[in-house]
Amino acid sequence: MKKKWISAISGLAVGVLASAVFFGDFSPKQPTSTASAKTNAEKVYVPFGKKDEYYLFASGGHSGQLFVYGVPSLRRIRTVPVFSLDSATGYGWDEHSKKMLGGYTWGDLHHPAFSETNGEYDGKYLFATDVANSRAAVLDLKTFTVKDIISVPNTSGPHCAAFVTENTEYLFLPTRFAVPLGNKYESLDDYSTKYRGVMSAVTFDEKAQKLHIAYQVALPPWSYDLSDAGKKISKDWAVVTTYNTEEATTNLEINASKEDRDFIVLFNWKELEKMVKEGKYDIVDGQKVIFPEKQKGGIYLVPVAKSPHGVDVTPDGKRFIASGKLAPLLTVFSFEKAFKAIENKDFAGERNGIPILRYESVMEREVNPENALGPLHTQFDDKGMAYTTMFISSEVVKWDPNTGEVLDRVPVQYSPGHSVAAEGDTVSPDGKYLVSLNKLAKDSYLSVGPSHPESMQLIDISGKMEVIQSAPVDPEPHYGQMIKADKIKTINVYPKDESNPDAVYNQKDARIVRKGNEVHVYGIAMRSKFIFDAKAKRPDVIEVNEGDKVFVHLTNIDRDEDITHGFAINRYNLNIEVQPGQTNTVEFVADKAGTYPIYCTNFCSALHQEMTGYLLVKPKQ
Amino acid sequence: MKKAKLSVSTAIIVSCSAILTGASLFFPWWGMRFVAPQYPEGLDIIVYPNKLKGNIDIINGLNHYIGMKPFSEESFPELSYLPYIIGALAIFLLVVAWLRDKRLLVALVVVFAIGGLLGLYDLHRWLVDFGTNLSDDAPIKIKPFVPPVLGENRIANFVTNSYFSTGAYMIGAAFFLLILPLWKERKR
Repeated sequence: MKKKWISAISGLAVGVLASAVFFGDFSPKQPTSTASAKTNAEKVYVPFGKKDEYYLFASGGHSGQLFVYGVPSLRRIRTVPVFSLDSATGYGWDEHSKKMLGGYTWGDLHHPAFSETNGEYDGKYLFATDVANSRAAVLDLKTFTVKDIISVPNTSGPHCAAFVTENTEYLFLPTRFAVPLGNKYESLDDYSTKYRGVMSAVTFDEKAQKLHIAYQVALPPWSYDLSDAGKKISKDWAVVTTYNTEEATTNLEINASKEDRDFIVLFNWKELEKMVKEGKYDIVDGQKVIFPEKQKGGIYLVPVAKSPHGVDVTPDGKRFIASGKLAPLLTVFSFEKAFKAIENKDFAGERNGIPILRYESVMEREVNPENALGPLHTQFDDKGMAYTTMFISSEVVKWDPNTGEVLDRVPVQYSPGHSVAAEGDTVSPDGKYLVSLNKLAKDSYLSVGPSHPESMQLIDISGKMEVIQSAPVDPEPHYGQMIKADKIKTINVYPKDESNPDAVYNQKDARIVRKGNEVHVYGIAMRSKFIFDAKAKRPDVIEVNEGDKVFVHLTNIDRDEDITHGFAINRYNLNIEVQPGQTNTVEFVADKAGTYPIYCTNFCSALHQEMTGYLLVKPKQ
Repeated sequence: MKKAKLSVSTAIIVSCSAILTGASLFFPWWGMRFVAPQYPEGLDIIVYPNKLKGNIDIINGLNHYIGMKPFSEESFPELSYLPYIIGALAIFLLVVAWLRDKRLLVALVVVFAIGGLLGLYDLHRWLVDFGTNLSDDAPIKIKPFVPPVLGENRIANFVTNSYFSTGAYMIGAAFFLLILPLWKERKR
């Protein structure tokens, strides 16, 4: 009886199993809502009312500007002028920005870098450097405006800057061009003795919102290309790639590519800081300058395949990876090995007074992905995997820094320079997204004639790499920074500053004050009028004498989101912006007699067109 | 006739009413919310017994287009004395509760009711004043209007919604707490 039951049940079970095998549907389910099933269009579509997940700050290169994009939509949100004039925001005309620009009309914004806390982006400030006119700038990310710009002496073209240490102790500005100290005249025949590639250590005073040069290092007259600060175990260190260690002075294309090896400069900024404290420096052009051949220690050279471009520290801070550019390989170096070699004084001689570490004792492995050419720059994901742009073979290669194994590769259009992954150069990258900053767009977009935009391509790196969006971009992103959107806390309206003598918050207080031949206007802008002198018959008129120096201090008393006013004077070639709650000043000499309409340039309201006034300049008798 | 004495439970309930009345001073009583296509998040006027909150400057800025006079806390003298009246009422309620004097309580309830009606009338009076005394110089001419004390209205691109807020509900509850024991003790 019992056996019968068993056979019956087992027979049934076999039958169910067989039918399941033949008729069951074991093919992968096609769910409609999970991330893996999203089409590329769904992955990048951010409907109205929703916001992007990440901010992308792309350097604007020789536009001198910074471009702010949203990721994953790749929508351009804003252009922030940094080193160049920008009439759309009055940048370079109002007193603050005019003073900061110091007479320069353009710049070449290379590498933006966020302020960091414990090796993580803190979303407070962004630093940028100007290769063209050797300057450094800091932006406050509460307002996305530039707070300070400094001009850096003794140096020319901080290309491989800025890079920031783990707690924003310093941002370092190594230089692309070697020049004589003080930019003096020196014959190029004396290049090796009289020229230097000076690196600057810059500090940022958050309270005063000012940049300051702490010290400089007179490195040999080579070109310094890219750099990165150490992390965790290597946090006191930094690495910089060099080319032209040949010290060629002409036709660098050929002459700086002769030797098989150039160097990575490995330095300990804590030691340099200590040397400065102990007075181990010379004063040159008002700066404290360390000369490595005189003040020894803290700086070492690591041989590397010739003319490398990027050098990037892994998120765990244990390795640094040099991208070959001219050599088709990536070299993985070990910080731990380097520290040991330094401790054991395991040097292979000196160059320009700086000890050279043995390649073999620091190198961990060479990675040479098949047919991949022109490795330039490496970013990382949440698992520590590396993504390297290949300029010549036009692709992004994913590989494992622990084993050197190539994991994946994806073609991009065309010729990527840098790439930027979500928080990809911090101690904890997010993975998810990587944007390839391509130097050539060619046929990617509607043609606009011979001059082409550059191109950015968004790559989904959560699984197998796939390009999911492309967007044209103005010249020319060199590097970017991608930060989780919620880390940035902006303000919409400037807070009232009752201590500001130029501010007027009550329209009844608007007034015009004359001091000799200086005329100070303390005015307000509101929807939809200017009031320069509340008690005048025509409150929106400024009347001065020819030759007067005029200061217009204008406060936007519309303390309301997105109500920005502009202030322009016809034929006087000036235009400023006053953001909600902001007080801004424009200064000019009324050197042209006549009648000049004043108007609001930034569309503010239904009666924006009526927001006008007059500047009357009485001719000299 | 012997003086009617309130029960202890009534005294406690009236005390609660007094506390509610006093506490209402710290909450908004009334508000008006303005919503427009370009202000989907809304702009607010929030009225406390002693102050105004919300986006007063922005609303004044916009109102000048229709020629409405700007308003501020200084425009409303009530805001300077209203807290004292309400505070006094709360104290009287507490005292009367523990005197347990029914006639005095009835008198206070009448004062309370009249005060409330006067308050509503005052609010309405201000709404009429601001809505109908529009400057002839206004760039946008609209017909004078009276926003309701309660409910929706439409002015140009704005839909306004007037509403009573926490403080007013507390006053309502306080009044209810006074009526309740009087009703219960009506046969005594």
